[in-house]
Amino acid sequence: MKHFFIFITAVFLFLFVAHINKNQNFLASEQKPTVRIFAYSSFTSKWGPGPQLKNLFEQTCECVVEFIEGSDSGILLQRLKVEGQKLGADLVIGFDQFDLQKATVELSWRALDFSKIDFDSQILLASKNEYFVPYDWGVLSFVTKKSKGFSTTLSLDDLLKSQFASKIALQDPRTSSVGLQFVMWVLKVKGETEGYEYLKQMMKQAHSFSPSWSTAYGLFKSDQVDMVLSYAASPLYHSIEEKNDDFVSLEMIEPQPVQVEFVGIPSFCKNCEKAEEFVNLMMSPEGQKIIMEKNYMLPVLKNVKIGTPFETIKIPFRLLDIEFPSLTEVDGVLTRWSQIRREISL
Amino acid sequence: MLVAFFESIKYSGHLVPISFLRIFVGYYYLQEFILKFSGDFLIRPRVAEMISQNLVASQAPEWVKWILNTYMVVHWQGFAFTLLAIELAIAISYILGYVVRPIGLLAVLSTILLLYLSPSGSQDFLKILLATHFAFAWVGAGRCLGLDYYFFKRVRGIWW
Repeated sequence: MKHFFIFITAVFLFLFVAHINKNQNFLASEQKPTVRIFAYSSFTSKWGPGPQLKNLFEQTCECVVEFIEGSDSGILLQRLKVEGQKLGADLVIGFDQFDLQKATVELSWRALDFSKIDFDSQILLASKNEYFVPYDWGVLSFVTKKSKGFSTTLSLDDLLKSQFASKIALQDPRTSSVGLQFVMWVLKVKGETEGYEYLKQMMKQAHSFSPSWSTAYGLFKSDQVDMVLSYAASPLYHSIEEKNDDFVSLEMIEPQPVQVEFVGIPSFCKNCEKAEEFVNLMMSPEGQKIIMEKNYMLPVLKNVKIGTPFETIKIPFRLLDIEFPSLTEVDGVLTRWSQIRREISL
Repeated sequence: MLVAFFESIKYSGHLVPISFLRIFVGYYYLQEFILKFSGDFLIRPRVAEMISQNLVASQAPEWVKWILNTYMVVHWQGFAFTLLAIELAIAISYILGYVVRPIGLLAVLSTILLLYLSPSGSQDFLKILLATHFAFAWVGAGRCLGLDYYFFKRVRGIWW
């Protein structure tokens, strides 16, 4: 055992010396404050807007930006609760309108005033929140390929026709915000009784209910389905990034739902002013352009998309009003959805 | 010592295959150590992130969760340093075949901890690794193609 203890001590000492040596340079840079930003993974990934915004911000802020990622907003909130208060969290990016009430109930937030910003008229309603500022938005729509030969204007009822049987990829509303948007959309335009009946039919009709948007979209891209619930801007992605104009988003006869993404500063932030500066950057025309081009979502500021390919995105004539459902309402809908799913599976 | 090293093949040749496995596992740990040390494992709270992300769904006993949540998230630097030092100790020990038995037991404990802290996708690999460490400690894998044989001849005892 003597050998073991000497060996372990030697290893610890060696690592300690190596660590001190390695960090002499790092300690100098650590004098700068670190702005810790919680965001979902597609925002912080190298193809998302996060790295570009970080580089731009670090050029002027005399600080270091650190991203902490979560796979979705639910995980983000969970991590924020466990880790945020102990280690510090200065900014949270990526809640949508369904998360806001939960976030407000479970944590306290710093009031933000962005009332002077010239918001796009479509999302004015979403800009009235005291604690969260909208930074991008998108219209949900079914996306298909022109080569499939479907009409580009359909109603929700058309989706139940036999030609679409097992050809539509949807998302599970319990794990995906897009999936939840679909359920709320149906209930909003059809009413509760007819809406749940429609969802029951759709469960037989849909190919699958994937846990996330990306999984469902993967099914569509690999031609396992003909149609997927996605965003109106999705075809533009294929057009710009893949030079493929075969993709098209459907215009629905019913008013279409809107997803708005928000940013907020927790009240326990450590570098609150820096966090607010980062939000200012996100809300500047330059920041909005980066978010728009990397996230393939629409900017919240007026005029940012003018002269860009995003101007060509066809916004449906009728959009659903943005609503902020309560926690109980969302829980009730999800419970009922799960119940229907179980009944169908039996 | 060099004579003993080669002599070990003659007298404990049945352990040669397991020694190759031991060196391979040691090399794996060395790679992991280099990756973490040259990255930001000791500088940024990666280990605290790992705890926060995976502990909710972990099957760890409540008292382990409590300790990890209360102390390790806050003192992540010390925790990360200890985890990394153990990885380096395992790497050196397995490659040289030195104090393999006690290090194998230490590796068992650290792998159990990592099992609690890992996402479900990587748990199968960790379970296999756990069984491998246990087997190394059980047979005394350092006695063949390792320095342990030299000390075993001179000192004897269960730790070689």
